[in-house]
Amino acid sequence: MAEKKSVLVGGWFDLPRLGADVWSTLVRRNGVTYDKSMGFKLDARTDIPSAVRTLRSAGIEVELSLRCFICGKSSCAGCPYVGACDRTAVSTLCLCADHAPEKGVFPLYSKTFEDNLKS
Amino acid sequence: MWSEKYRPKKVEQLIGNEEARLAIATWLDGWEPGKKAALLLGPPGIGKTTFVTLLAQERGMNLVDLNASDVRTKDKLRSKMGEAMSTVSLFGERSLIFLDEVDGLAGRSDYGAVDFIKDSVKESQNPIVMAANDPDSDEIKKLASSCVAVRFRPPPPREVEMYLREIASKEGAAFGADELRAYVLDAAGDVRQAINLLQSRPLPEAGRGRYYKDRDSTDSEALNAFFSAETKEAAYAALRALSMSPFEKVREVHRSVVKSGLPPEELAKALEVVSRADVLIGGMMRGGDWRLLRYMDRLFVEELHPLLKGRAVRYTQEDLPFPIMTRIWNDSRKITDISLKFAARAKTSGKSARSEDLPYVFALCSKKQFREDLEHALGYDADKEVLESYDKFLHKEAAR
Repeated sequence: MAEKKSVLVGGWFDLPRLGADVWSTLVRRNGVTYDKSMGFKLDARTDIPSAVRTLRSAGIEVELSLRCFICGKSSCAGCPYVGACDRTAVSTLCLCADHAPEKGVFPLYSKTFEDNLKS
Repeated sequence: MWSEKYRPKKVEQLIGNEEARLAIATWLDGWEPGKKAALLLGPPGIGKTTFVTLLAQERGMNLVDLNASDVRTKDKLRSKMGEAMSTVSLFGERSLIFLDEVDGLAGRSDYGAVDFIKDSVKESQNPIVMAANDPDSDEIKKLASSCVAVRFRPPPPREVEMYLREIASKEGAAFGADELRAYVLDAAGDVRQAINLLQSRPLPEAGRGRYYKDRDSTDSEALNAFFSAETKEAAYAALRALSMSPFEKVREVHRSVVKSGLPPEELAKALEVVSRADVLIGGMMRGGDWRLLRYMDRLFVEELHPLLKGRAVRYTQEDLPFPIMTRIWNDSRKITDISLKFAARAKTSGKSARSEDLPYVFALCSKKQFREDLEHALGYDADKEVLESYDKFLHKEAAR
């Protein structure tokens, strides 16, 4: 029975010891970021579909959720597209319920990008 | 067209790939001679070129745009890129060199092109950004290891909806939430397609697909549209709608033609055209000459389509998925190879080795020591990859 693990894309997460082969595949081949004190992270450099497959073959079923680009909160809970969205295939950030599309957030979205670039 | 009217004019007006865009913009702002090049990985039509163009524009840089499919050899690359790499304006303004479709360098005829790029990056006086569609090819992996590499993916559906709502509000058009969501799902991550749907406002259909998961049904519809097209224009449009790789396209057309029940002479003519397309793909893969791709659709429409017109050829998906078929084929090759090598050592025929001896040999392979001895006796331990593959196969057969 595979172990289930919720992973926030762009956030640090820990894994049980899976052996050198799995670690090496994840970090070297799938581009998962690793920090000894923080753990693992999936980001724009990661081949996310392959990383999810590697973890699945090691007995860990990953459930991905995306962060809100504007506020950083987890954005998948309550999203109308949650059943249709393939989180391994889309880009790594999204929008949460507080910054939902129906609230006309595009100007705020653009400004957040600009602010991030300046900082 | 709304898709033209609302084409992004600044980097912050793009949607999706925020991390990747920020990483590349930050890399460019901090770039100085001797630093790494950037590599954008992702499928075509995702906005890589638009992003690089806007990035250069905003920073007042001259964009030197080269398509690697057109300059595949080291010498051609040197002549095209050489000047751009070493030239800085009198006022110290830099150019941004954009080398698109570097997958085109991965073929055998591109002697030294990838190594030339890797060496040039270190000496270039101007930053170099490259883009590749296929991140899994060995040459691209080699290149990615020495670059700032980021992946571009389709934007999530909620961001596409945000952009559609922005356009609808600027146009003063009212849309229901369900209607907008249907367009978002239908466009499957293609922002331009979503905007076109918004503008043309087609009637909602029942049973809309999953975002980025319905490729198979869309492809089968497109293939059937090709087979039943009344005009050449419709046939071209159907082929353009296919999201398959060129290799898959030839494979699926071949499968449909074989199953079509055409009379032998007509079948032979149709298969002759398909085989020419296959040869074309082979040449393209070996030589990395992606320009040949444009001839493939032409071959299908101009030569194959007239042969199939009115013949009720239909595309149906294979009962077994292709990866499983490949596995069965590979396994049968391994059994043949093992039985021949075993027969030579046991002084028996390959046929009797396969039917009488191998079932017992495979059963004994559950013991690691026996398996290793067998692999050594049959000479599989000479190559690490071959050994791994046969060991896995024998282990699986023993467990069966």
